[in-house]
Amino acid sequence: MTTSIEPGQELPGFSHVFTRADLVRYAEASGDDNPIHLDDEKAAELGLPGVIAHGMLTMGTALRVVTDWIGDPARVVSYQVRFTKPVVVDPLTGAEVSFGGRVTAVNDGIAKVSLEATCAGVKVLGAAVAEVRLD
Amino acid sequence: MPISEVHQGRTYPATAPLRVTRERIRHFAAALSDADNPAYAGPDPIAPPTFAVVLSSAAWGAMFEDPDLGLSLSRTVHVDQRFTWQRPLRDGDEVTAVLTIERVRPRGATAIIGISVELQTTAGEPLCTATSTLMHTSEESA
Repeated sequence: MTTSIEPGQELPGFSHVFTRADLVRYAEASGDDNPIHLDDEKAAELGLPGVIAHGMLTMGTALRVVTDWIGDPARVVSYQVRFTKPVVVDPLTGAEVSFGGRVTAVNDGIAKVSLEATCAGVKVLGAAVAEVRLD
Repeated sequence: MPISEVHQGRTYPATAPLRVTRERIRHFAAALSDADNPAYAGPDPIAPPTFAVVLSSAAWGAMFEDPDLGLSLSRTVHVDQRFTWQRPLRDGDEVTAVLTIERVRPRGATAIIGISVELQTTAGEPLCTATSTLMHTSEESA
């Protein structure tokens, strides 16, 4: 894995359409059953146009850019994000989010990867950085 | 009295142990549409890295139930999240989580709250540190 990983390297991205069913499944798997992810009325009470994806679902999905690339998820040593904008999930069409990543530094066998997640051209994660062990 | 600087350093008892099972791993990987990664299946599966949120969010419960703080999850915004792992969580681990309030910055009706959650096995092996910044707005201003 240590060969030919250089700062500036772009990682293969992907896009995912989050559906309401994804949110139900994530709520069950994670234990986060906050109604703003499941119930339009509760979301509206907080001024949202509709239910929003769990920030942690977006965070977890974005990390696939790293784990699909590196193969073994056990190599991930740290990961951080800021939740900058909610992802509003339409009941019929869902919400398409595009994910990508770029190696920004390689030091002492650890690669730093900067991740991007955008929905309708808007960044939904900020300062998203994963550190990955290469040895 | 709402949450303030005086609550910095407050630590809560560990959560009840949660057993990481291949079933939980499979469900979580599927919920991330990531069930195809072989690390999450087979004879000795590991959990997806962000599975740690199952434990860290369970640990939030004690803080939100603390009557001294007057917090409500519905008035809370999750601003940022960080995980550092000592090793992956894997099938068979019995894991507990301990939450500490690291810092509180009141700004009028709003408080910025920094918390850290330490995940470890019931045998005391450290697994992961999950730190979060939360923004809480007190009821009076709602």
